[in-house]
Amino acid sequence: MLTEIQQGKALNPVVKHITQEKINLYAEASGDFNPIHVDESFAAKTPLGGTIAHGMLSLAYVSEMMTSAFGQSWLSEGKLRAKFKEPARPGDTLTINGKVDCIERKDDVSYANCNFECRNQKGEMIVTGEAIIKLSGDRK
Amino acid sequence: MPDKTISYEELTPGYKFPPATYELSASFVSKYLKAVDSAGAEFVPPLAITACAIAAMTKSVPLPPGTIAIHASQDLEFFKPVPIGATIECHIGVAQKIARGKMSMLILELEVFDKGKEKVQSGRATIALPA
Repeated sequence: MLTEIQQGKALNPVVKHITQEKINLYAEASGDFNPIHVDESFAAKTPLGGTIAHGMLSLAYVSEMMTSAFGQSWLSEGKLRAKFKEPARPGDTLTINGKVDCIERKDDVSYANCNFECRNQKGEMIVTGEAIIKLSGDRK
Repeated sequence: MPDKTISYEELTPGYKFPPATYELSASFVSKYLKAVDSAGAEFVPPLAITACAIAAMTKSVPLPPGTIAIHASQDLEFFKPVPIGATIECHIGVAQKIARGKMSMLILELEVFDKGKEKVQSGRATIALPA
């Protein structure tokens, strides 16, 4: 967890390699077997040209970064807004970065406003968004 | 799990999918953690809960063969940690359906409750589909 939460503080990045095996595992765990994710011959004939990872798989990596930074506060009082910009594909290495944009204080409660982004090895934006975490009442 | 399907055309604002119940067993959480390549957790990862809610919806709507549905955006709010082994109930409804040229944007609202009827998560998903 972050020991000191302050404006501008970078969150520990998460790096993940996407494989078709991981996409298949995610399909089994989530129950989402949309062929664009798991059927390589079907996906090859679509405008996407091949299978893509579930958006929620990329977002799970963002949540892992937030859990690692904020612990139970993220699970009990976290909010996020994410936009899926480009699909992640088998073979991609995704790097998820985040930063505390500012700390806001409202009614004696502090909130950490963070931004995050997930990019592939080419630097293409896969997911971008914002997160808000309620911190304990006595933090400044 | 939903036992009834609905056509895409029938999805109109205000439509509520049948609630779906899931047991977040240790084996489910373990499978999920392996899929997302993550270490063990004390509580159910919140995105595993969202995945259950979204799966309940996608199983209810059989898309025509060849249709590609793209997850365009996702908003989420978490209210409490969920212990492994808990049972959750997922409620999803259609908030908006917007036609944009050859695409249609389906905006879904989701709420997830625990066995004590306390809200554990809510959110909004935007799915892009061919119109």
